[in-house]
Amino acid sequence: MENIIEVKNLTKLYKKKKAIDDLSFDVYKGEILGFLGPNGSGKSTTINCILSLLNFNKGNIKIFGREMSPNAYDIKRKIGVVFQDVAVFEELTVYDNIDFFCGLYVSNNNKRKKYIEDAINLVGLQEFKKYYPKQLSGGLLRRLNIACGIAHKPEIIFLDEPTVAVDPQSRNNILEGIKKLRSDGATIIYTTHYMEEVEMICDRVIVLDKGKIIAKGTTDELKYLAKIKEKITVEAKEISNQNLNQIKQLPEVQNISYENGILKISYENEKNNLENIIDFLKNNQIKYRKIYSERPTLNDVFLELTGKELRD
Amino acid sequence: MFFHNFKYTLKALLRNKGLIFWTLAFPLIMALFFNMAFSNIEKQDKFKAINVAVVTNEYYENNTMLKETFELLSDENNKDRVFDSKYVNQDEAKELLEEEKIDGYVVFSEDSQQIIVNKNGVNQTILKFVVEEIVQAEDTADIIQEKVENIFNSREENGIMETLKSIIILLQNNSANIKDNSDANLSYMTIEFFTLVAMTCLYGGILGAVAINWCLANMSNVGKRLSMTPVSKLKMVISGTLAGYLIQLVGVALLFIFTIGILKIDFGNKTFEMVVLALVGSFAGLTMGVAVTAAIKTSENAKTGILIGFTMLGCFFAGMMGVSMKYLIDKSVPIINKLNPANMITDGFYSLYYYDTLDRFYGNICGLCIFSAIMLAIAIVSLRKQKYESI
Ligand SMILES: Nc1ncnc2c1ncn2[C@@H]1O[C@H](COP(=O)(O)OP(=O)(O)OP(=O)(O)O)[C@@H](O)[C@H]1O
Ligand SMILES: [Mg+2]
Repeated sequence: MENIIEVKNLTKLYKKKKAIDDLSFDVYKGEILGFLGPNGSGKSTTINCILSLLNFNKGNIKIFGREMSPNAYDIKRKIGVVFQDVAVFEELTVYDNIDFFCGLYVSNNNKRKKYIEDAINLVGLQEFKKYYPKQLSGGLLRRLNIACGIAHKPEIIFLDEPTVAVDPQSRNNILEGIKKLRSDGATIIYTTHYMEEVEMICDRVIVLDKGKIIAKGTTDELKYLAKIKEKITVEAKEISNQNLNQIKQLPEVQNISYENGILKISYENEKNNLENIIDFLKNNQIKYRKIYSERPTLNDVFLELTGKELRD
Repeated sequence: MFFHNFKYTLKALLRNKGLIFWTLAFPLIMALFFNMAFSNIEKQDKFKAINVAVVTNEYYENNTMLKETFELLSDENNKDRVFDSKYVNQDEAKELLEEEKIDGYVVFSEDSQQIIVNKNGVNQTILKFVVEEIVQAEDTADIIQEKVENIFNSREENGIMETLKSIIILLQNNSANIKDNSDANLSYMTIEFFTLVAMTCLYGGILGAVAINWCLANMSNVGKRLSMTPVSKLKMVISGTLAGYLIQLVGVALLFIFTIGILKIDFGNKTFEMVVLALVGSFAGLTMGVAVTAAIKTSENAKTGILIGFTMLGCFFAGMMGVSMKYLIDKSVPIINKLNPANMITDGFYSLYYYDTLDRFYGNICGLCIFSAIMLAIAIVSLRKQKYESI
């Protein structure tokens, strides 16, 4: 697989605070790479370092095999960025905003017109061309933000949490659009703290915490990393301490927690676990309202690796 | 790319209502406001004709010129009316003064005039001043009359020529006096308008400031995006500021058209120098805006606030709210106004209006250029950065 971006030993400190710590990874041509991590884990900082907007203390970054720098205009020409904060002109309409940014890459008028139409269709803003950003809802504004970043048909696209605070309809629209960009040939770096999104669109994931890579691979590979293979939740008002101790001794049980009438059991294997616990509850005459089994999620992987939830 | 950015920056700036208000509309509103305030002062003066009495002694009755002048100055139909005069005898005049029905009375005699008042005040001063002027004018008229009589008495051609010359000189001196007086009246009003031009030139810097703010990755979100385009920062910054400068100049031009064309304010007639001063002054405002934007890290609104505040303070020191402030600063802390761009612009227009030589004007132009150079240096140091410690 062809490396399109290579990051080696990237370290960045804000004053004395280490924001990213010795990151190394590659981005392959044509993939959607997910950058998953909780708030403050260093996703935006990593992107801004790759883009040469931020000074960093150590490390080296190559794009298309060449050192990235603020004056590398031929590299910049092939990059599109959608920053975390919406970056559009309040004073310009939807169409003019896209035209303005696109025009800094594409000077041919006819070609540009077509590119703008494509971008507008991709994010679904056909009916809002004449609107000013103030007149758009949060979700539509995010879509405009994306359109401004990708209208010039870049080969590499950075998207920094493009779906924050967006309604489900806009979110689906955005995710579909991103998949379309990939199928049109772009390579995409996508940061988020929503694991569902990562599971939906990413070919590969890098999990970040406190500026360090704590895991990377495909979503299936990551899930395999988790020791837990199954989780069973039981809603039962009263379980004695003696019973809880007995449950802990059941086969394959890795860990249990009991709080507010909710019992959570995690298993290291996924064989007959539900059957066993139902039998146990019956035999000990414990009454329960609900019982259900789940497969582990990326959140569990994260929980296991860091001891905390992905989202606070 | 250069023109593309210029065009869209222009479009975006023109659509920003707040900016356009401060840079184009606000100066015009201020001009209108100044004009109203000053014409009110004038009107009040007209209505408050001073109550005086003239003692109608023999000398007065026989002196037609005195009589006519006084009657003219007291005529209700005269829009420059100064006096509300009563013509009485000496005893009546005394009585009126004691009852405070008049501010003073005048007794003319062969070789002097007596002005009797029992208080010192503005009205009394005006009374004295005007009466002295009248007597002086009368003396001049006497001299002219004498000389003219001499002409008829003389038979020598040379004598006639000489006399005519001296008459012309006399008349010229007289009219020079009159012009001086009218200038003194005007100066009060015009200097406020000079500060208004200074304000407009400097306010325009806000436009350049906002345009630059859009280009900087460490200052705005749009700046981050623009920093990732394949267009060099220099190109973006120059095309953006040019768009700002253009609107700024339109603002100054509008103010001139409005004040000179509609309000009929007299700025003098050195048009070329005025245009140069406006261009240089606006450039100083632009560089100030750029320096503030590039060097100070806060929100766009805060930067606009800083620029407005600094400009207003500068204009205040330059005499916007009363010329006495300018005199006070010029006299006691001259360094402030030497560094104050608002004062340099004001003083530039002032010197063009009042002085025939251009030395003082060039001094101000130089001061503005030095100011701009310092601002540019500050801006360039900050603008050269392309990678930041934090954004
Ligand atoms: N300008 C800055 N100055 C100082 N510290 C900063 C700055 N920007 C970020 N940080 C710190 O660096 C760390 C990484 O921040 P970063 O914004 O990269 O995280 P993130 O993963 O993008 O988070 P989020 O999901 O909230 O966007 C955080 O601890 C943050 O507090
Ligand atoms: Mg972030």
